[in-house]
Amino acid sequence: MTRIGPHVSRRDFLKLGGASVGALAAGAILAPPAAAAARKAGFIDVAGDGTIPTMCEMCVWRCGVLARVRDGRVVKLDGNPAHPHSRGMLCARGQAGLMSTYDPDRVLHPLIRVGPRGGGQFRQATWEEALDLTAQKMAEIRDNYGPEAMIFSSTHNLSQVQFENLLSAYGSPNYGTQRSLCFNAMVTAFLLTYGVEEPARNYDRVKFVLLTGRNLLEAISTSETAELMEAVARGAKLVVLDPRFTKTASKATEWIPIRPGTDAAFLLSMIHVIVTEGLADCEFVKKYVTGCEDIPAAMAEYTPEWGEAKTGVPAATIDRLAREYAAAGKDAMAHPGWRTSNFINSFQAERAIATLNALSGNVLTPGGCLVAESPEAAGIPLGKPPQPAYPRVTSMRLDGVPWKYPLVPLKLGIFQNIREAILSGQPYQAHGWFVSRQNPVLSIPDRARTVEAMGKLDFIAVVDVILNDTAWYADVVLPEASYLERYDPLNIVDHKLFLRQPVIEAQGEARSALWIYKQLGERLGLGEFFQYEDEEDYLRQQLAPLGAELQDVKYKGYLEVPVEEGDGEIVFGTPSGKIEVYSETLAGAGFSPWPTWEEPPAPAPDEFYLLTGKVGQHTQTATQNNAFLHQVEDEPKLWIHPAAASARGIEDGASVRVTSPIGSVVVTSLVTEGIRQDCLFLAPGYGHASKGLRVAYGVGVSDSDLHVTYTDPISGGQALSQTFVTVERA
Amino acid sequence: MAQKNRYGFVIDVARCIDCRACLVACRVENEVSLPHTRIWVKDQGLRGTFPDLAREFVPYNCMHCEHPPCIEVCTSGATFKDPDNGLVLVDQEACIGCGLCVEACPYDARYLDPTRGVVDKCTGCVHRVERGEEPACVATCLGGARMFGDFNDPTSEVSQALARATQVRQLVTDEVDPDPNIYYLNGDVMQTGLLPRLPRYTTAETLWRGVAIPAVIAGITLSFLGQAVAFTKQLIEGEQEFEE
Repeated sequence: MTRIGPHVSRRDFLKLGGASVGALAAGAILAPPAAAAARKAGFIDVAGDGTIPTMCEMCVWRCGVLARVRDGRVVKLDGNPAHPHSRGMLCARGQAGLMSTYDPDRVLHPLIRVGPRGGGQFRQATWEEALDLTAQKMAEIRDNYGPEAMIFSSTHNLSQVQFENLLSAYGSPNYGTQRSLCFNAMVTAFLLTYGVEEPARNYDRVKFVLLTGRNLLEAISTSETAELMEAVARGAKLVVLDPRFTKTASKATEWIPIRPGTDAAFLLSMIHVIVTEGLADCEFVKKYVTGCEDIPAAMAEYTPEWGEAKTGVPAATIDRLAREYAAAGKDAMAHPGWRTSNFINSFQAERAIATLNALSGNVLTPGGCLVAESPEAAGIPLGKPPQPAYPRVTSMRLDGVPWKYPLVPLKLGIFQNIREAILSGQPYQAHGWFVSRQNPVLSIPDRARTVEAMGKLDFIAVVDVILNDTAWYADVVLPEASYLERYDPLNIVDHKLFLRQPVIEAQGEARSALWIYKQLGERLGLGEFFQYEDEEDYLRQQLAPLGAELQDVKYKGYLEVPVEEGDGEIVFGTPSGKIEVYSETLAGAGFSPWPTWEEPPAPAPDEFYLLTGKVGQHTQTATQNNAFLHQVEDEPKLWIHPAAASARGIEDGASVRVTSPIGSVVVTSLVTEGIRQDCLFLAPGYGHASKGLRVAYGVGVSDSDLHVTYTDPISGGQALSQTFVTVERA
Repeated sequence: MAQKNRYGFVIDVARCIDCRACLVACRVENEVSLPHTRIWVKDQGLRGTFPDLAREFVPYNCMHCEHPPCIEVCTSGATFKDPDNGLVLVDQEACIGCGLCVEACPYDARYLDPTRGVVDKCTGCVHRVERGEEPACVATCLGGARMFGDFNDPTSEVSQALARATQVRQLVTDEVDPDPNIYYLNGDVMQTGLLPRLPRYTTAETLWRGVAIPAVIAGITLSFLGQAVAFTKQLIEGEQEFEE
């Protein structure tokens, strides 16, 4: 039997499943310096030259890396051919990774704030002092206000499991991930429909790919980007829905510059055509999909003509694409997308995408969308250090999950609501914030409100490798070793366990997150939750049930784990065990049980949709200070259509003021045919306020100064494209 | 074919996604200092009007020409075509940094590094190729646009790609055709901004070639002769002296 989810996703959520080890692994030793370890493993010679396998951290795709080291310095990073995410390649960010490690602006010593908060004045401190102070403040908050008064937030790091361990042991329910700003709509929709967080994609035989805003050639996931290009070169049809002519659109067979916020209408109309014309994979649908007989009736109103009125895409185009999609059968893929935080109705668009995939029957096929990992792979019996049960948490979460948002998964949460709760003091007042490798000051909409919220807190500690905008407002900055300088817990990809290991000595006094969290845990009296001597001991305990030696994993960079083949039977991780196009869970929570249309707000005649997105040379707000990437980036500008520009007397390259209900920015214009007349696009990730970032400081502007905070009541996703703005010559 | 191998690139323009991984890979692999670069991706900009648009990206670097204008002008003999593989290389130990080759290259694929006082350019990652690896830009190409190999070997990836291709272009004009070893597939590359310019033989160079080089050679010859005469004379006189 093949069970589809809940399971370990390819991308993140590293869960340490299986049996725990009963006792500390014997023979735990102090971590030897990286060079000594590498020499012992046979990677480098006496002179310190050689190649060491590890993993990238320039985004969350986590490619395998072969790091070339000379005289104890890393001189080149290549994609590891043995890793399915890199397949011998690295994107621009991965190639530039060593510059992030050798960034002259790295924070290499613990810092304690001396001036006013946000003033950027810090003094160098010892680890002892910085850790003692952090633990003392966290203990005070726990003792005075309860553990729930402390917020913990971190996103997508491999050491996330120990971050979660720290917050659970401390006893706070307030876990801020970045996920509601990103993929809540996609994950929630697929969990409800398939019981899977993020369906894997397989391009081996794909003939028709529908990308709904997924800009795969600029929001790069190395292997998947390469697979898409191979499919296109092979002759697969690529249809791109995007209001903007992205680089992905430039490679598409058809670019559909759809009206923003109407993806769901387009997709529902496609579903209408497929089910009313009897074009679906009936055998599959009858066997695996709930409400199968009632789908045509539920989709009755979404005719292509209705779709045209909503989307601006001709009915004939919708009708034709639906038929072409259906004709590709199991080799058609409606891509689930990734950052799907666009509109309140993005959840419904994701439900429609989930439905389209079900109708094509592409689940578990080599041209399809839901290639599930087998449970055996998901259940790789990794060990973990022994620990007592976590304290019971009874207080409500500040983000309203689940008491106000019943369907939002706890581990996703609603980040932007935490900021609002700090400001309102409801349902209770937060007092401290422990942030690890995350940048809420730039990422959450409405930066001014986030900074204001930070001003209400008694204590803020930040773990990071550079002085990003959030660290700029911290009271204590704890310097983490870069991904080329540290170990992290093992990562599972396609039945292989991959290892991140140090390829050079940590510079300055930077230390791994595994070490930092343990140090804090011990100082908070939670040492029994951190029963590992050091990073290598932690990894040995993970490997113990597999009978594998760390030394062997270090040498290859990964461990292959044999997996039993399933017998072909499919059971979905939903309450019914089927694909829930009709969802009782949604109905029970008072929402439409069917994928449905929710009319999004539209801009007034003189206003624009403000679009956000990605560029291929940067990751979120984290890499703009990398000098190598800075050199190959485009100057961040505001895209505007020539008609809209000339009506306002705006010339290409002119300085323009963009104003939203919450703020305004002045930015350089890029007058281009590559965007709808009713849209503006602002290059993302810029506008850093921290003067600790000497490359990025002063470059571009941040859309967090414009975005209004809107939250989807079902998925908790932030609606980033629902902010409407005006533009004028500055 | 003069040399044993003829290494070069085939670039499938339809597959370049302008991710710029090649630009960074080259910089790191070859320690090219900021702000210089050895390779480029030319964004031809949008063509057409909304919504009928097209956009292509054209990667380029030294074309390792069969008849490289840069070699002709090199005064120090530092620029040469490697007889083993056909790659156009610069011996930076010998380069005097006069920059004439920078002007002569019709593709502007060379630059003068003022800090080191030498000319730098794409080497085809010859050090990697000799180890049996692909150039750094090719190895990391996400879109699969860049290919590298030996055109003299019919089984190589580049030869196979050319054999299969329906449309192949070299960036040449009637006026300028150094027979470049980058072949482009599937893209409209014959556009201004990419086509080769006439080699610039500057006044300085003309002067250099016409006057300075002969003058220097004459000077060196004269000085050598003079030295030789003096030395011989001294030798004889010295010997006489010794005898005395």
